[in-house]
Amino acid sequence: MNRPTDAGTSSVSRRLLGLLLLPLALLLGVGLFIDYRSGAATIEGAYDRVLRETAMAVAAHLRDADGDGHIDADLPPQAIALLRSDSQDSIYYAVRTASGSLVSGDADLLFAAPPEGETRFVDTTFRGAPIRVAAYATPVGRTTVAIAVAETLHKRERALQRILVSIVFTDLVQLIGTLALVWIGVRYGVRPLRALGGQIAQRSAHDLAPLQAALVPAEVRPLVHALNALFETVREAARAQQQFIADAAHQLRTPLTGIIAQLELLDREPMPAELHARLHALHEGCVRLAHTANQLLALARSERTATTREDFARVDLEQLAMDVVAQNLDRSLAAGIDLGVEATRSHVMGSEWLLRELLGNLVDNALAYTPRGGRITVRSGGGAGSAWLEVEDDGPGIPVEHRVQVRERFVRLPGSPGNGCGLGLAIVDEIARGHEAVFALENGADSRGLRARVIFPAA
Amino acid sequence: MRILVVEDDALVADAIRRGLEKAGYAADRVESAEQATTALEAEAFDLAVVDIGLPGADGLALLQRMRRGGVALPVLILTARDGLADRVSALDLGADDYLVKPFALPELVARCRALIRRSRSSTSAQLAIGDLSLDFSARRVEAAGKEVGLTRREWAVLECLALNVGRVVAKDKLLQAIANWDADIGANAIEVYVSRLRNKLGASVPIRTVRGLGYRLDESTD
Repeated sequence: MNRPTDAGTSSVSRRLLGLLLLPLALLLGVGLFIDYRSGAATIEGAYDRVLRETAMAVAAHLRDADGDGHIDADLPPQAIALLRSDSQDSIYYAVRTASGSLVSGDADLLFAAPPEGETRFVDTTFRGAPIRVAAYATPVGRTTVAIAVAETLHKRERALQRILVSIVFTDLVQLIGTLALVWIGVRYGVRPLRALGGQIAQRSAHDLAPLQAALVPAEVRPLVHALNALFETVREAARAQQQFIADAAHQLRTPLTGIIAQLELLDREPMPAELHARLHALHEGCVRLAHTANQLLALARSERTATTREDFARVDLEQLAMDVVAQNLDRSLAAGIDLGVEATRSHVMGSEWLLRELLGNLVDNALAYTPRGGRITVRSGGGAGSAWLEVEDDGPGIPVEHRVQVRERFVRLPGSPGNGCGLGLAIVDEIARGHEAVFALENGADSRGLRARVIFPAA
Repeated sequence: MRILVVEDDALVADAIRRGLEKAGYAADRVESAEQATTALEAEAFDLAVVDIGLPGADGLALLQRMRRGGVALPVLILTARDGLADRVSALDLGADDYLVKPFALPELVARCRALIRRSRSSTSAQLAIGDLSLDFSARRVEAAGKEVGLTRREWAVLECLALNVGRVVAKDKLLQAIANWDADIGANAIEVYVSRLRNKLGASVPIRTVRGLGYRLDESTD
């Protein structure tokens, strides 16, 4: 059976994955953006709070001791060192009076003072590096003091990186997980379809029995019903064809029988020799016509479309070989050919009538080509599940280059004797194919003659 | 000997009737199963040649009716259809032989002769095959009018072949036939007895060897 390769055909799981991939990726991209934004805001907020608390802590150390507006920063060196201590970032600070004069800290850290009691955050650069500044204004005595605490952004950047990596990682895991689930789900979902495909693939080309609809999901049941309807149509067509062939056989054979029998009777009447010769020619022509009609009908009956597996039964090849030899004995005796059988017990599933036709044609062929004094042996056998039929003769054989051609219909090799119509081996070939058997033409024993072998598949 | 030919095709029926008459039989032809039933009730026949494809009730229905009615007459079924179904049902329904059209007239005559002889041999102790004449009760054989002396085993082989004249008899069956006298007989022994029979009977009634199958006693037909 020819089966197209799966390449290029669509698979449900592949299509579904393809359709899902882009929207899923877009959704995940948007999610990633939102997660990152909210994560970043949280981090900024946390670090900003620390910065503001530092600024407030500095404010706690400021005094207007004299009440004259001169601010004292009660910041011992240890406190300043603590303030500036950070493993990753540089911390700057500056304390200024309302008039702008520096009370303590880094003189080059310039900032705008916010309204009193408020904290304002500003991104700027300081000494060439980007910084975050928290500016805070608070009353000290009678005057207002502005405090700025700033830090470089290394901590924040690293935290953002970490959060980005973790968001991307979890989102990717989600994406892959989703796709994997879809794939597994589809595979599981289409399992009944695969089972149906297997059911169809396992049957032979002639098995037209209905498929079991109960085994497939409701979505696929219309397909099964349609297939079963098709099978039924084919079966019906095969039945009609068989009936037609049977009727045609009857209509052709009955008059031919009458004509041939009448000619045989006439032949025994006294008549001039010249009339006898004409009568013989006429008889021969009718016999040839009958043979061709028989062969055509046999070919039509053996066509694979005309037979179904339902007609198959267990066939005893040994009995078949013996029957066919017994049937052809008179012809072989008349032709002076030693026709024999070497059969061992073996069975195949097949159509007995067609296999009889197959073996009959092989013997017929051997009888037509084997010269007087020749030897034809019909064999049957089997072992390890596969059975075979074989007809071997010691006639002229068939040249290797013609062994394919002779299986075609109406092909007769030049110099073929007798009144064959070139259908015999075509019939054998057709019947062998219908039984999924291999029909081989080989040299006979000692490279002489022909050995026609039909090897059946293991039952 | 009287043969009833049940065949609707005039050309075929005429040829069969003439062929049988030339072979020395009386043949009556009818065209349908109904006429055949009437004829069988009115006359005695030795054999019926029945075509399956008759108008109205077909040949198989006629055969069935005959067998149900207890008619033991040998029946040769003719058919223009091949295929196993017809053959199987014909034999199942009690046909004695089966011939597919187109057949050669001598073949039909030979089959008719064999059927009549077989039905006679079950009722009669005498059997004539060509130049050969056998007397089963006396176990005597004559070839061309002269008595031939046979041993018990040779007789057993010949008896078995003669009762199946024209048909291949398997070696095993012949072995069984002579095993009654001697349980310790090899398959090669059959060849010896057949060869002796050939010598004693001469060439007038040939015993054919069918390689791998057995032997067949032939009657030289016309």
